[in-house]
Amino acid sequence: MKTESTTQPVIEARQLDLTFQTNDGPIHALKDVNLTVDKGDFVSFIGPSGCGKTTFLRCIAALETPTGGALTVNGMTADEARRNRAYGYVFQAAGLYPWRTIAKNIKLPLEIMGYSASEQEERVKKVLELVDLEGFGGKFPWQLSGGMQQRASIARALAFDADILLMDEPFGALDEIVRDHLNEQLLALWARTEKTIGFVTHSIPEAVYLSTKIVVMSPRPGRITDVIDSPLPRERPLDIRDTPEFIEVAHRVREGLRAGHTDE
Amino acid sequence: MALILNGDAELWAIVLLSLKVSIFAVLISALIGMPVGAALAVARFPGRRVLIVLMNALMGFPPVVVGLLVYLMLSRSGPLGVLELLYTPTAMIIAQVVLVTPIIAALTRQVVEMLAEEYSEQLRSLGVSRLASVPVLLWDARLALVTALLAGFGRAIAEVGAVIIVGGNINHVTRVMTTTIALETSKGNLALALALGAILIGIAVAVNAMVSTLSLQAEREGLRHA
Repeated sequence: MKTESTTQPVIEARQLDLTFQTNDGPIHALKDVNLTVDKGDFVSFIGPSGCGKTTFLRCIAALETPTGGALTVNGMTADEARRNRAYGYVFQAAGLYPWRTIAKNIKLPLEIMGYSASEQEERVKKVLELVDLEGFGGKFPWQLSGGMQQRASIARALAFDADILLMDEPFGALDEIVRDHLNEQLLALWARTEKTIGFVTHSIPEAVYLSTKIVVMSPRPGRITDVIDSPLPRERPLDIRDTPEFIEVAHRVREGLRAGHTDE
Repeated sequence: MALILNGDAELWAIVLLSLKVSIFAVLISALIGMPVGAALAVARFPGRRVLIVLMNALMGFPPVVVGLLVYLMLSRSGPLGVLELLYTPTAMIIAQVVLVTPIIAALTRQVVEMLAEEYSEQLRSLGVSRLASVPVLLWDARLALVTALLAGFGRAIAEVGAVIIVGGNINHVTRVMTTTIALETSKGNLALALALGAILIGIAVAVNAMVSTLSLQAEREGLRHA
């Protein structure tokens, strides 16, 4: 079905700029951002608040419009990609609607896209399994723990066949034990679905554990200070975090973050 | 009280006519008010703010004035005089539609706008345009919309000023609960007035009970799966 060659980058940003006009004057949210993301990459964006990591993710999702430079997603403009439903987006807060059950929440995109009732059922069942929430379809969001809600939110983003998954600090509000578990699950899910994932975080271990590519960003103006291609294997048990390779990558990320800070 | 208990035929005819007129009026108002309210909630165009203010102002429009305006439209020499609708139940329905539509439209706009905000980014990330999101929003707002309908019905059934002007309070034709109460009280026939008053209050309580049952039901739906 897909005609584009496998070598075409999934996301490509060239000299991307974004300036917000506010009452206090312009804010340079992104400056000269260049990045290429290939199919199947797991890319993390890491940096202190105000570094533009979420803004960049939102640009890819066409929820924000850059004021300069070029950005393509699946070879299209970001807005075309959005209208073509190229990506599933997991928001910072799970953003489940309290008046819909978990299954109904996951069905929302499917209803909009006009899937048949039986197809909807089938897909809900499949994605609930993927995120380890079998049997919770009939529950309401408030009956689930924070981690389970976030998993349901991921399931919603997976329900239709977007091959890009964009996640904005999805586990930021969760405690570390739950976060470890979800990170492990997310890697398993990524391996099974072969999706390209863009992931915003401010946790160094999380970024290093998950990513094949780590994008280190710094604020004022928001820009990329380092892009690290992870030497870690794709298969990663949790205890990989104690290996010298892991610690070395984490060290380089920390250095990148520090370098960004001394610029101020 | 004896009038109610004995099932006085004339009394019940009046009650039935009241219900018929107001239910029709609410249904027509819903058909107009809901799409208008939803459109105002999601569409962005110049003059939108003005329209919303106007609509909110219309919610509190004095029924007597609405009655007068509808009267002028429908009277022999009015633009719609040829239809000969004055002093018919249809005229009363028209007057009530004018009164109720702004209420339903304004409440729909509020509910849908709030929901649209909540759904906005999610729907945009799914490539859905603002107008295309209306059906989803209306469906998810259905409970609140039923409440809007009931609020409109409450206004319609309790209103006297407009229907007495355009209906004329003609016995067996356009005499409804409120107009009867007004008439019988001035005649000193307090028994009938009180009986109708009791029924009217009963309807108001029933409508309110339905509203709270609906929200309770929604809650229970949530608990059943617990």
